[in-house]
Amino acid sequence: MNLRPAIAAAAVAGGGIAAYLTYVHYAHVAPVCTTGGCEKVQTSSYAELGGVPVALLGLLAYVAVLATTAVRGVAAAFAGAVLGLVGVAFSGYLLWAQLDPIGAICQWCLGNDVVISVVAVLCVGRMLTEPGPE
Amino acid sequence: MHRNRLLLLAAAVAAAVIVVVVLIAVGAGKDSKQTVTGSSPRSTHAQLFNGVAQHGATLGSPAAPATLTVFEDPQCPFCREWNENALASVIVDFVRPGKLKLVYRGVNIIGPNSEQGLRAIYAAAQQNRLWNVVEALYDRQGAENSGWITNSVIRAAAAAAGANGDAILAASSSPSVTAQLRAAAREASAIGLPGTPTFIVQRPLSKPQRLNAPLDASGFESALAAALR
Repeated sequence: MNLRPAIAAAAVAGGGIAAYLTYVHYAHVAPVCTTGGCEKVQTSSYAELGGVPVALLGLLAYVAVLATTAVRGVAAAFAGAVLGLVGVAFSGYLLWAQLDPIGAICQWCLGNDVVISVVAVLCVGRMLTEPGPE
Repeated sequence: MHRNRLLLLAAAVAAAVIVVVVLIAVGAGKDSKQTVTGSSPRSTHAQLFNGVAQHGATLGSPAAPATLTVFEDPQCPFCREWNENALASVIVDFVRPGKLKLVYRGVNIIGPNSEQGLRAIYAAAQQNRLWNVVEALYDRQGAENSGWITNSVIRAAAAAAGANGDAILAASSSPSVTAQLRAAAREASAIGLPGTPTFIVQRPLSKPQRLNAPLDASGFESALAAALR
């Protein structure tokens, strides 16, 4: 089963969320929010990593995942799986940060959590099934 | 499923764990900028305004014997520095005990975008949230004259300050706000305002005097205490 189109579609969806949050960060505007905590999360110290917005890092990660879908082979599948798993683990850390230290939930982050989980599952599935030399 | 693929999966999981541990260790949630959590400057400021009287541009009891008039421009980075570093201490040590009241005078010395911010700030005075909105705008301060003060930023600042953003925007061009801007500009002109922030201290039965002080908490408080003696 060729999972690359599904991974690419999920990566585009996640990239869209990350791109919007990156725009919000640099435009100094409040994100559209129905959960009430988006701005609090976006302006917390957890929203940056070494001075770089985590939304931008997420955008770059989704672009990288998308790039792996353009290449056949186990190496590309492995790279996609690592990116997806890193994304899931880091998103889990940020979800903990929202629930505990920040005390606010951002709907965009939750949306990203769902998408990155789908990306990770698909990428791991691809890595396990991608045709290649053994 | 081939054993090699399972080994590859284990390697991918291990690589992911290592990368995430390193990311968390070096960065997220640990930088020194303001945060909205814990005892951060931002949350401390929000708590500081709670229970402190605000009437228009005045913060503190109207009956306080001394007045500190603060001339600021919302685009001014040194004004932000004073707000972040010294304002909290001034409120705790001077305003809350009733020794001093603060009066905000917003002046446009940097550019047209400052006026948009000042209009929002004076409009917030109608909700007795002027100082909260000033603080919330400094939290969002961008580069001078980059156009960072937008309606969206004003709405976000108002929300963070517990004010009604739509009402602020609606009142921004009102005659009363314009009158306050002009009055502040006249006052600034009368004292020959050298720049922002500028601090004027007035004690009972004394002439107003300019306070030259460092912008950090201890330095500013020392100078303020000396001026109030």
